Amino acid sequence: MKNLLDKELKLATSPLAWLFLLFSLMTFIPGYPILLGSFFVCLGLFHSFQNAGEANDILYTALLPVRKNDAVRAKFISVCFFELVAFLLMAVFTVIRMTVMSDSPVYKTNVMMNATPLYLAFVLIIFALFNLIFLRGFFRTAYKIGKPFIIFIVVTMITIGIGESLHHVPGLEFLNDPSGKRMGLQLAILAAGAVIYAVVTFLSEKRSEYSFERIDL
Amino acid sequence: MSDPVLEVKGLCKEYPKFRLENVSFSVPRACIMGFIGRNGAGKTTTLKSILNLVHASAGEIRYFGLDLHESEEEIKRRIGYAGGAVDYYKRKKIRDIVAVTRSFYPNWDENAYRKYMTAFDLDESKTPSQLSEGMKVKLNLCLSLSHRAELLILDEPTSGLDPVSRDELLDIFDVLRGNGVSVLFSTHITSDLDKCADSITYIKNGRILASEPMESYIASCRENGIGGNLEEIMLHYEKEDYHEKLA
Repeated sequence: MKNLLDKELKLATSPLAWLFLLFSLMTFIPGYPILLGSFFVCLGLFHSFQNAGEANDILYTALLPVRKNDAVRAKFISVCFFELVAFLLMAVFTVIRMTVMSDSPVYKTNVMMNATPLYLAFVLIIFALFNLIFLRGFFRTAYKIGKPFIIFIVVTMITIGIGESLHHVPGLEFLNDPSGKRMGLQLAILAAGAVIYAVVTFLSEKRSEYSFERIDL
Repeated sequence: MSDPVLEVKGLCKEYPKFRLENVSFSVPRACIMGFIGRNGAGKTTTLKSILNLVHASAGEIRYFGLDLHESEEEIKRRIGYAGGAVDYYKRKKIRDIVAVTRSFYPNWDENAYRKYMTAFDLDESKTPSQLSEGMKVKLNLCLSLSHRAELLILDEPTSGLDPVSRDELLDIFDVLRGNGVSVLFSTHITSDLDKCADSITYIKNGRILASEPMESYIASCRENGIGGNLEEIMLHYEKEDYHEKLA
């Protein structure tokens, strides 16, 4: 597995996937739908799949003396690696925004989603959607990436819209409270997001193994 | 004759408009087998099936006496494959591709790798996109031989090569045979086989017409008035009368 991960990072991953981790910095932008940062991280990963397709990565991998299941698992692990690095960066930026920058006037008048644990929960849900819709979709054929990515874009934009709207619903204002007064509830939602991410990714990976074992390359 | 390195029995694969029917042949050790047939005859489908890249609907595939599905990892450590026009990671340096590739093969022989890189005039600092078609085939051969592949499966390796590169490649096959390596290569260029093949497997419309030693096949075709060389034999079996068709 280590050599497959090595292959993913050294040969299959696009430099853009690394560069697009910088979109985690969007967490700091006031008055902006900061969840788009997680979408751009996924866009970098999508570019890796484009690159890998042109490089005949799947054929190269299928000819290696490895189990096909491990090839699928390595793809998922490498994608999760980028997602979790982005998540960690966003988590650190969220903590900074909620503490040392909490008195900044630009954040006090922010009508958009604040950087809170709820924001991080939505980040994990968007990454889970990427794994479910795009990665799982890719392994149905091992070459079609356009259709699953377009579906992912549509679903993600709807999800971002929901995330940005929820705290405007009467009674749900606490979701966007950056003061830390409702931290317990917000952290519980983040934990739920983490569970959703883990379960959805695990099931997507298993279904992808099943598909990849059966398709003709 | 020693045990075959590859045995294919009753291989079948159905597509909506094409099917492989009961494909059977075997490749002996230290043998160059030409896999011939015209475009669309089923050569690539057969090669992909025996590499488990496509899933055969029936049949048995054994390498070195091992079943492909039960021992796929071990088998893939002991064989090498190169598609004619396929290059991997064409924008990455050969050095980087090799660094990753060698980690998958416990039997990787660094001395052999250096020897073949030098013999084939390959430069590690180049990318596959900077190589000619002939050099790409040589790179794939180099990678396969560096993990001491005992059988090379090559899909139309000579297509697109100039006459000198083709001749060089056939010389390399000859040397490899001397080292005990078997080569199964598909082609529709019959003159390549005249130069180096020990045996041929001929496929037409998804069915094997013949699979036997080259000399006996040519001799029997000559006796039956089919043709005195592979080109004449292929023309006998395959040529369609377009004067009649288009009249």
